[in-house]
Amino acid sequence: MDPLIVTQALNVVYGVTTLALLVLGLAVIFGLLGVLNIAHGEFIMAGAYCAYVTQANGWPFVAALPLALIVCGALGIVVERGLIRPLYARPFDTLVATWGLSLLLRKLAEALFGMGFYNVDVPLHGTVALLGTDYPAYRLVLIAVSGAVLTGLFLWFRLSRTGARIQAMVGNRELAEAVGLPVRRLAAYTFVIGTCLAGFAGVLIAPLVPVQPFMGLDYVLKTFFVLVVGGLGTVMGVLSGAAVIGGLDSVMSAAIDATSGYVTVLVVAILFLWLKPRGLFARS
Amino acid sequence: MRAASLALVALVLLLPLGLSDYRAYQLALYFLYAAAATGIGLCWGRAGFLPLGQAMFFGLAAYLAGLTLIWLGDSLWVFVLLPLAAAAAGLLAYGIGFLVFRRQGESGPYFSMITLALSLLAFQVATSWNDVTGGFNGLKGIPGLPGFDDFSAAYYVSATALLIVLGLASWLYAAPIGVLWRALAQNERRVALFGFNTNALKAVAFGVSGLFAGIGGAIYAPQQGLVTPQVAGFGLSADLVIWAAVGGRFGLLGPTLGVLLVGALTTELRDRIGFWEVLMAGFFILVVLAFPRGLIGVAAPLVRWLEGRQHSPPAVPAPPRRGASEPAHLMLSDVSAEVGEVKILQHLSLKIAGPGIFCIIGPNGAGKTSTFNLLTGELAPRAGEVLLDGAEITGLPPHRIIARGVGRKFQIPMIFVDLTVAENLCIALWGCRATRLELLIPRLKRWTSPMLDELVGRYPFLAAGHRRAAELSHGQRQILELAMALLTEPRLLLLDEPCAGLSPEETASVIDLIRWAGRKLQIAIVVIEHDMTLVKELAGIIYVLHNGALLAQGDVAAVRANTDVQAVYVGGEK
Amino acid sequence: MSLPRLVFDGVTGGYGSAPVVRAVSGQVAPGEVLCVLGRNGTGKTTLMRLLMGYLRCQQGSVRLDGIAIETLTTPARHALGISYCPQERPVFDDLSVRDNLTLMRPNRDLAPFADCLARFPILARRLDQHAGTLSGGEKKLLSLTRGLAEALPMMLLDEPSEGLQWENILHMAALIAERKAAGTALIVVEQNLAFAERIADHYLVMDQGRVVLTGSRADTDRAQLLAHLHV
Repeated sequence: MDPLIVTQALNVVYGVTTLALLVLGLAVIFGLLGVLNIAHGEFIMAGAYCAYVTQANGWPFVAALPLALIVCGALGIVVERGLIRPLYARPFDTLVATWGLSLLLRKLAEALFGMGFYNVDVPLHGTVALLGTDYPAYRLVLIAVSGAVLTGLFLWFRLSRTGARIQAMVGNRELAEAVGLPVRRLAAYTFVIGTCLAGFAGVLIAPLVPVQPFMGLDYVLKTFFVLVVGGLGTVMGVLSGAAVIGGLDSVMSAAIDATSGYVTVLVVAILFLWLKPRGLFARS
Repeated sequence: MRAASLALVALVLLLPLGLSDYRAYQLALYFLYAAAATGIGLCWGRAGFLPLGQAMFFGLAAYLAGLTLIWLGDSLWVFVLLPLAAAAAGLLAYGIGFLVFRRQGESGPYFSMITLALSLLAFQVATSWNDVTGGFNGLKGIPGLPGFDDFSAAYYVSATALLIVLGLASWLYAAPIGVLWRALAQNERRVALFGFNTNALKAVAFGVSGLFAGIGGAIYAPQQGLVTPQVAGFGLSADLVIWAAVGGRFGLLGPTLGVLLVGALTTELRDRIGFWEVLMAGFFILVVLAFPRGLIGVAAPLVRWLEGRQHSPPAVPAPPRRGASEPAHLMLSDVSAEVGEVKILQHLSLKIAGPGIFCIIGPNGAGKTSTFNLLTGELAPRAGEVLLDGAEITGLPPHRIIARGVGRKFQIPMIFVDLTVAENLCIALWGCRATRLELLIPRLKRWTSPMLDELVGRYPFLAAGHRRAAELSHGQRQILELAMALLTEPRLLLLDEPCAGLSPEETASVIDLIRWAGRKLQIAIVVIEHDMTLVKELAGIIYVLHNGALLAQGDVAAVRANTDVQAVYVGGEK
Repeated sequence: MSLPRLVFDGVTGGYGSAPVVRAVSGQVAPGEVLCVLGRNGTGKTTLMRLLMGYLRCQQGSVRLDGIAIETLTTPARHALGISYCPQERPVFDDLSVRDNLTLMRPNRDLAPFADCLARFPILARRLDQHAGTLSGGEKKLLSLTRGLAEALPMMLLDEPSEGLQWENILHMAALIAERKAAGTALIVVEQNLAFAERIADHYLVMDQGRVVLTGSRADTDRAQLLAHLHV
């Protein structure tokens, strides 16, 4: 097989799976709970900065993961209690409040780390010979990890007791309250899972992108569009949305340039919002 | 109010006398930002949607103005083309609003995300398109406006631009369209059900806000001499929203106050206090959560005092309602509709020929309210057709159906609680009488009609026009909504449990009103009711619905005697 | 006559500015069923929602075994011992039948449901199917099974027989009788008079949000009830 084609194909797979990983947190918070957390990108940013801090302190890369979980978890708890919970019935105000939060987090990052960008070293150097081409090892790791996390999360959600309770709460909140589900606590727990997933994704992509305060903006838009195209509340939604958006972005960026990729994604997203606002695979 | 406006203008014009040239120049820049922020106040504070990328219009006008100035230099044509640059921004905003709002019923989050994405895209384009925009370093060497070169001239030009924007905004807020925007923000569905094209209204709001930002941007270019992509980017967009919010998005001057106070403070303190911008963001969140009225809310009592006594100008008779006026003839043929998996209507066939009063009854889930939703275009049938006077209305948007002479009243009264009683009644009057351009004329707020006189005669509380509708009791709200429905003088009036929650005296008065309206207007009135005593008093013909289909029809005695109907109401052994 | 388990006194409440339920009072003792009857739109379901805490009482009090509960949230009322089977959306459509039954239980054991599953074999056959695929009546059977197994001292049932075949309605009556014998108090909203007559110890008839008739089964004449239910 032509090595160039294999590389391009792997790039697309890489683009799609990392996008799916980045979407997960928002898929939980927006897709399941219906909370439009515009600060989602900033939780990813927080994770990325955790990776930088880990590196700056000389710790091994994997130490960034628990650090990100602690930071994003704690932040998630505070945000859910202070910002999200009082505004559950007012989706528009939630949008504005989380937008303010994203601003706050961005400015905080600026104040703490400065406006410039940092590079986090790739923890796994070198390439792997695969299907006639040499592909960066870390990217392959990322593809594998994304796949594992997606599968694991899906299985946990479908098969576990807590997953069933979350589904029950999301699908029929009134009945959930009547059977004794601690709905408020469960919603908070679900929100924090979402922010932790975002932080986790942020750590993993940190070695591959410049870590700077504004990095969250692009991610929040792309992940939002994935859910718009794919549909809220289903796994197929996340996958199909990531495939469409991630695929288009990769292909157009490779073929022309980054701006074209951006434009294409934007046009497709607007078309979906316009013509098929529930996306491809929405929860009924 | 006039006195206050004159005082403001005088203040603005005299201010530079007390300031250094440099300060005046800085203030001039903030005036331009204030123009853009006022647009955000219009969209967010009045019409109820939030644009997150407003700087793209500011930047577009700035780039267009910059290019024009570079190209034309000293020519006086500049004074024609610069306003056109601002207008271009407004037109673009209107276009975007038109396209986006057409499909998205609720403006909310999706609209905001699209504007955010578009502004990021605009920034990208400005940065990449080196040939035209000068790329990352921007458009340099832009000459000033011919004849207005020094610092104090810059101040007066900006001040004039801001005063023009504030004047336009003030006019629009006082005009019917301003009232409609505020009504939209509270209950968009209800506005559409008075016959207004709400998507067009929102698009106009967005267009005007784009124009305001464009005015700021068009003056920015000659004043600063340099236009960089930042001017179209996210940072400025974000700042504009914060300034509008902190200053107070609901008031006319709130956004301006926010820009001047917060913007100026930021410039002073940004370098001295490390975490200043973090503080500002935190303050913004606080304002959103706890103090939505912003800084100007603090001054609200003063503003009210300045506004002075409310005087009642003489009334103006409203023109007659547009469209036909014969009683309606309604026919539903074999209509089926689902919502998700649930079958709401199944092969429903129904004929109502006005005038007269007709009742629809049936158990819960029979499809009564759904039938009303079908008739007002809010429920799309999967099969069958709905004919009004022989013309099909299936597939028409609600406001067009209303324009054909349909009126509706809801079970839980849907009035505009944050508007005054007079404003509520006006909206009903403007519904199918005011043309689009007439919505810009403040004089329309004085409209009245013989029907309104009769209603005020029966219910004196309706005359207290300056009371906020939120202060009305439940019974008064029901009557207000019924009055609004009657004011539109429909040919087919749909009333959903009009006496719900009313005291016996109020109920008797409403029944009397309905009967009177039926006789006076000679229209078809369809009432959904559960209370059989009321049904006996009102109808006419009764239609019994069950499981989404017509079960029985006839007068009271016939329906009571019908065993199928009995079985449905009492249950039985199957 | 034992002390009443649930007492509601002068309860007034509704949606928005309109009171749908006005000054409604009633009570039910352990081991008895209070049947709430009335035409549609008279406020029966709203009353249940007020009792279960979905709506706040604008006036009036609700007491469970003497404890005032009118300010408690719905999960708190459940924790105190009230089971609720709502009229609309009675099951979790996205979960399987089995998950619906065992969601709040310590394990997935189906032993506590054995009796009900034996009477309603359709549920036993569809244990692993999504509850959303069940018919309306089957969902009511599932809802009742779940509710009965909670074995709480107070049960609120809103139109449990809706959409059911007579045969299953009879089963339902038998199960409710067993629960009564175990000491549970039940309030049952019903449209089906024949079913109500089989299970009720007391009646409470509503019209326009108010109580128009109360009485025990012995004192109340069928004709009186029919007069209030008829069109």
